[in-house]
Amino acid sequence: MEQEKFDKIEQEITPRTPYVKNVLKAFFVGGLICTIGHAITYFYIIFFDFTEKTVGNPTVATMIFLSMLLTGFGLYQKLGQFAGAGSAVPVSGFGNAVISAAIEHRTEGFVLGVGGNMFKLAGSVILFGVTSAFVVALVKLILVSTGVIEW
Amino acid sequence: MKKLVLPLLLFMFLTGCNDDQKTLEVNDIGGEESEKVKIIMENEEEIYSGRAIFVEDQLLVAVQAKPWLDYKKTKIEKNLKKKLEESFPEYDITVSSDYKLYWEAQKLLKEDDGEKLKKKVEKLKKLKKEET
Repeated sequence: MEQEKFDKIEQEITPRTPYVKNVLKAFFVGGLICTIGHAITYFYIIFFDFTEKTVGNPTVATMIFLSMLLTGFGLYQKLGQFAGAGSAVPVSGFGNAVISAAIEHRTEGFVLGVGGNMFKLAGSVILFGVTSAFVVALVKLILVSTGVIEW
Repeated sequence: MKKLVLPLLLFMFLTGCNDDQKTLEVNDIGGEESEKVKIIMENEEEIYSGRAIFVEDQLLVAVQAKPWLDYKKTKIEKNLKKKLEESFPEYDITVSSDYKLYWEAQKLLKEDDGEKLKKKVEKLKKLKKEET
């Protein structure tokens, strides 16, 4: 009985999570980041010799570089606090995860601190990214060889 | 102010997809060939814009697929190439839906120097083949 009472009181007191507001914030900030990414894509297509097929690599590199700079200056964490997943899901969140881990473990030395901990968070992104890319490629290969879609 | 945001956004979303005017451009070589290309592109339902460049025995066609049909770009390219090959068997035809080629084609439309034009078309063909 005591436990139930406690649960009830706890639920009444805890402030409600503003899900809708959070989702909207994430949607718009994430969309903004992707718009910037798209602008960079067109920049590379128009001013350099990249096609839509090849422009992905320099765009991703630039986005990660920008978010690394912002993380270093302490601006990305403010954005992350405001937008949540909106700033973590695009590739710029990957750069943030790498650099913030490196900064955090700087005091432990270069090899065991920065080197050993740099990919503490981003390592899982790489692992599951490669794994899911493999699975998706496998699905596509099956679909192509059965003639459902074309390359 | 806040009440206005949603209808405004909705309006912007809906008007964004309301453009059926096709823009078709062909570089000036005269003759019936440019008209023929225009007609073929006009009949292609899945594109909203196209540019064709004739130079010597080369024909470069750069098109833009409609936004919702972006995923079947290769199919659109293939179909258009087949149609063009039927009408222009004597030309070496390159069809692309890539934005890079579309953008460069706009510059080539104004190029008068035949030698330069050919060089640039060759370069674009090479770019199209690049994978990484």
